[in-house]
Amino acid sequence: MDVATVVDIGRVEVARATVEFKGVQGKTVTALAPTELELTPGSFTALVGPSGCGKSTLLNLIAGFLEPTEGAVRLDGKEITGPVPDVGIVFQQYALFPWFSALGNVEFALKRLSLGKPERQARALAALAEVGLAGRERQYPGQLSGGMKQRVALARIFAAAPKVLLMDEPFGALDAITRASMHRLLLDIWTRHRTTVLFVTHDIDEALLLADRVHVMSRGPGRIVETLDVTDPRPRTVETRSPQVSAARAQILELLLSSDH
Amino acid sequence: MLSRRIAATAVSFAAFIGLWWAISALEIVNPVFFPAPPLVFSAALEMLEGGVLFSDLQVSLGRAAVGFVAGVVLGLLTGLLTSRIAFFNLMLNPLLSLCRPIPAIALVPVAIVWFGIGETSKYFVIGYSVFLTVWLNTHHGMSMVAETYVRASRSLGASRSREFVEVIIPAASPYIMAGVRSAAAVAFLCLVAAELTGASGGIGYRLQESRQYIRVDRMFVSLIELGLLGALLDAIFVAIGRRVIHWEQM
Ligand SMILES: Nc1ncnc2c1ncn2[C@@H]1O[C@H](COP(=O)(O)OP(=O)(O)OP(=O)(O)O)[C@@H](O)[C@H]1O
Ligand SMILES: [Mg+2]
Repeated sequence: MDVATVVDIGRVEVARATVEFKGVQGKTVTALAPTELELTPGSFTALVGPSGCGKSTLLNLIAGFLEPTEGAVRLDGKEITGPVPDVGIVFQQYALFPWFSALGNVEFALKRLSLGKPERQARALAALAEVGLAGRERQYPGQLSGGMKQRVALARIFAAAPKVLLMDEPFGALDAITRASMHRLLLDIWTRHRTTVLFVTHDIDEALLLADRVHVMSRGPGRIVETLDVTDPRPRTVETRSPQVSAARAQILELLLSSDH
Repeated sequence: MLSRRIAATAVSFAAFIGLWWAISALEIVNPVFFPAPPLVFSAALEMLEGGVLFSDLQVSLGRAAVGFVAGVVLGLLTGLLTSRIAFFNLMLNPLLSLCRPIPAIALVPVAIVWFGIGETSKYFVIGYSVFLTVWLNTHHGMSMVAETYVRASRSLGASRSREFVEVIIPAASPYIMAGVRSAAAVAFLCLVAAELTGASGGIGYRLQESRQYIRVDRMFVSLIELGLLGALLDAIFVAIGRRVIHWEQM
């Protein structure tokens, strides 16, 4: 997999970034201890860790929703100071706009490009076809299943052509079969678009199925405690994983268990 | 499903009228004070033939409509200001929260002094209550917009004005619509209070007039008229809400 070298946009650097929240009674809570993280262009990185360890905080930081208390986050050398379309995000709770149809949701992402309406619609329809939702464009999120909603969210985000895609437990609410088909779909689209992906999950197997690299986070305060590379060729399955990946899985599990008290 | 509900409603009304009839037939109280259904029915016919039934309806609906529209417009605008601009929230929220417990009927004397006994005082009393109801719901709905919607909108590159029109307003619209619906009911509740400011027509006025002649049968007709009209208006607003906020019921 050296496709990554041909794409050279979408490099994310988190430089000794810290996030503190004002807790109750003026006490500050350190959600993210000084963290170093680099996402190379076109790479697929997973972030695993126990609940409350700061995974979402790190994601929201890169998305520009939070400001680091110290340190900085840069995209292709430029500091991120707020939400920008170059950094897309898919949430666990879908965050589709229920008042827009599937088509309307995807078009929403295209409106900042000054396209004519026919061109915009054509692109949105193509994006929905790419995620296998042809024929469902006029339906509203309330009429779609969880898996279909997340397909719309994928179509919407890829239509916006971000350089970096952040995903916060995007498939956490789906059943096993739907989740497996979403994995396949995501890898398909990612291979075509080669967006830099940061994928948060607390499912170790999901991380090992998808990512080139897995960061393990730990609590109190949130920080990255281990980084493992996954070199198995894709498509991967749980059954056909290499001994190295099995060892990596055991190591991650051990880390998560030891930090869970 | 629908036919069962219609049947249940019919049974409930029939049972109620039957009970009413039975109690009045016992003549425990003077029929003047508690008239039986046929007496009320003939009073309704008398009011229909005299023309007051429909003229009251027209006059009251007109008053409610003017006060309602004025209150809704003001309530929406103020709600937008207090929910979006911290300065207006700081200045107006405590004041309006103090106004909310003041019932419309308490404003009647003030309205008479300020605006006389003309139509303006009626619009004022109705508009005041409608305004507060719509303001509260608009303010609440616009302040409660889920953070994820705003975040999604911003990271998809929407400008602040597009975010407002395509995200904030639709996200708040179920609350706003609920506010408008209860405001319609409130406008009706205040109508009777408003017509205490002195009127020569309207359902509230007719109630007062019937009291002077101790015509409880005619009072019942006016009360039933109020109830039916209120229920009809509510049904209309529910139907409008279903169409406008079509995604909420799915
Ligand atoms: N807005 C906030 N104010 C105060 N504390 C917060 C805030 N957001 C998060 N935290 C705290 O920061 C820590 C990290 O939270 P975060 O949501 O990043 O965890 P997470 O790893 O995403 O957890 P999960 O797996 O449950 O989603 C938690 O202890 C949380 O209570
Ligand atoms: Mg989280």
